Amino acid sequence: MTRALRLCLVLALCLGLAAAPARAQAPSADAVKAAFLPKFARYVGWPARMQLGAGAPFQLCVIGRDPFGRMLDQAAATEQIDGHGVAVRRLPSAAGAGGCHLAYVQGAAPADTGRLLLALRSQPVLTITDARAGPQRGMIHFTIVSGRVRFFIDEAEAAARGLSISSRLLALAAGVRQRR
Amino acid sequence: MNRRRLSPYLLGPVWLAAQAGGASAQDVPAPAAEPASQDLSMLSIEELAQLPVNSASKREEPLSAAPTALFVITGEDIIGAGATSLPEALRLAPNLQVQQVNGFEYAITSRGFNSVESSNKLLVLIDGRGIYSTLHSGVFWQLHSPLLEDIQQIEVISGPGGTLYGPNAVNGVISIASRDARETLGGLVRGTAGAFERTIGGRYGVALGTRGAIRFYGNWFDREALARGPIGPAIDDAFSGWQAGMRADFDAGASHFTLQGDLFDNDVDSLPGDGHQGHNVLARWSRSLSDASSFRIQGYYDYFERQYLLAFDSLQTFDLDAQFNATIGAHDLVIGGGMRTTRDRFINNLNGFALVPQSRRLWIYNAFAQDRIRLTPALSLTVGLKAEDTSFSGLELLPNLRLAWQPDERTLLWAAVSRAVRTPSRIDRQLEFQPLLLPAPGFVSEKLIAFEAGYRGQPSQSTTLSISIFYNVYDDIRTADLVNTNPLQVQLANGLEGHSYGVEAWSTIQLAPWWRLNLGASAVFKNFRVKPGHIDLSGRDSLGHDPDFQLFARTRMDLTDRLQLHAGLRYVGEIDSAPPIGAYVEADATLSWRLTDLVELYVAGRNLLHDAHLESNDSDRAHLAQRSVAFGTRLRF
Repeated sequence: MTRALRLCLVLALCLGLAAAPARAQAPSADAVKAAFLPKFARYVGWPARMQLGAGAPFQLCVIGRDPFGRMLDQAAATEQIDGHGVAVRRLPSAAGAGGCHLAYVQGAAPADTGRLLLALRSQPVLTITDARAGPQRGMIHFTIVSGRVRFFIDEAEAAARGLSISSRLLALAAGVRQRR
Repeated sequence: MNRRRLSPYLLGPVWLAAQAGGASAQDVPAPAAEPASQDLSMLSIEELAQLPVNSASKREEPLSAAPTALFVITGEDIIGAGATSLPEALRLAPNLQVQQVNGFEYAITSRGFNSVESSNKLLVLIDGRGIYSTLHSGVFWQLHSPLLEDIQQIEVISGPGGTLYGPNAVNGVISIASRDARETLGGLVRGTAGAFERTIGGRYGVALGTRGAIRFYGNWFDREALARGPIGPAIDDAFSGWQAGMRADFDAGASHFTLQGDLFDNDVDSLPGDGHQGHNVLARWSRSLSDASSFRIQGYYDYFERQYLLAFDSLQTFDLDAQFNATIGAHDLVIGGGMRTTRDRFINNLNGFALVPQSRRLWIYNAFAQDRIRLTPALSLTVGLKAEDTSFSGLELLPNLRLAWQPDERTLLWAAVSRAVRTPSRIDRQLEFQPLLLPAPGFVSEKLIAFEAGYRGQPSQSTTLSISIFYNVYDDIRTADLVNTNPLQVQLANGLEGHSYGVEAWSTIQLAPWWRLNLGASAVFKNFRVKPGHIDLSGRDSLGHDPDFQLFARTRMDLTDRLQLHAGLRYVGEIDSAPPIGAYVEADATLSWRLTDLVELYVAGRNLLHDAHLESNDSDRAHLAQRSVAFGTRLRF
């Protein structure tokens, strides 16, 4: 019986503490990544055939798994880049990714991510991957450095697909693979 | 450069809501409202890059859609729980039973059979390296002291590991994965001090160009002896030592390379010279071949030796594995194979038990194929077969059939039938004590046919739930048979058969963005009998001694933006043994305070409710698990 009593006491202690005014700590890494994604469009130049008509939105595609959910929709909804909004599309595979300007790519397993990236190689799309999903890297590869969301940039790969990346974004990268 | 620094107080609502925002739909429930991302959107990319983040919430496991009883312990959970050793971290999994036997030994199992000697039906992998011993098929947990801060996650599967895992995956699989070196750039130092234990650990990681990174780590610990209980021996079990190592990861096009290794040495105070040492090195290469196929090849070398009470044991392992994955239409194919060779040595100067021969090399080959067939968009069938051949005990076939039904994104129902075996260890066949114990060359594999079913899903926006049930039919479990009465002669044999059944369930409830609750329970019931023609003199020792029930509750609360409380309660039912081990309730708690972004102070308490309690009935080994409180700090640079 004393055991049960102690159990109740400990639970009470927990509940008591919970009533204390609480402010949560840092935002989740995913929330910050979701905020980053639509902003990348501002710092990337696409080849002429991907130029947008007046008022048309940039297309931000999430291919494979979507770790962001509504966070990404909300972040994209508030983004305005020279009169263009950012529309989020979710695709199960690389099929139909033709109009994508940016593609966050994450397969069910790391190898799947690699396959999706390969399938996108023929298009001028800025591919974005996450180190937590696996080692396969897109042009921008999220990672965590000292508790902050940072990213590697593969400028050589981007240039090979006709994309140019602004120096402001390159300056923020944890590492850049430069074009030759 | 005039870069504004953001005050966490300014961002109050951002921090609050975003904290809960990043949940993956699979495991951690999504919050009801997420105003956070709108607020984060107002920040510039420079500000976003400077924002400290909490990477705790996501549990991205490749196996999340796998139809098995899978529990994932994240690295963040381990740190939050204040664990200082791998076995203590494994207490977070409700589908494991963890017994602290003494200061350096633990017995850990899933779905029953627990004790140091009978917990021999588990496959444990550290970054793909199998760590169970071919001496007795069990795991010497005292050989492994990785830096817990480097662990990415631990997957705990209860039930047979199917065809994809290596040998010995009968009752469960524990797969420990460390972080990619590119995610551990910079420095970290951790120190803890308490009356019972002191630790110092640290790591430093640097980038190698833009596509690779390497880290080095070291981990040192010094534990006091535990009090002697009512049944254990008068042996000093103080334990101290270190482990150090490195891991490098590198990308080149569609290829990824990993190279890692560890070195360790530790001492037990039982007798001068007692302790363990060893080293290992592992290399892995994975490559995407096309958008529908990939392969992975891995090799490792591992060596360890143990010295304990005048007995010496060593094991050298070379292992090479290859695996090929391909998606062809509605089929997801995995084909693989591997070979392993071990050389062991066992010298016993303590008593008359001996392995004959004293040293032996074994060869183990395996080949497997598995196909997951998508019958309809919601229904998939997995068929797998593994063949395993050893130079010691011959060929075994391990088939496995799994059905998964995913009617919507939030619900997975699954069922499985598998066959698994524990192949004979050296002790099973070649242990002798002349003239009393005869070797048992006829000892065969212990066999299991397992029937399982389960549900995993997200019944509400803020709750995840997993329930699995199992019915296991075992045969040929080890007995110590009486073969002759005059003179008295004993021989190990496969004399037990029976079944076990039980249930495991766990749930995560996000009560508020800052408050998470985890509940868990497991139960296992066994019913065995000695087969006709056998007499078990060991008193069914090989069945172990398990509690019927275990209950777990954990809470994580972000009390302020810098103050975090983790607390856990566990109830472990009575262990029906002679002498019986009483049921107990124990609690742990960790209160941590982030002084600045780079400095963290914490106080961690274990076994808080009693001065000491007994977890194991092992009369040759058991000491009391004791209350301990330690102060710790983590510095990042």
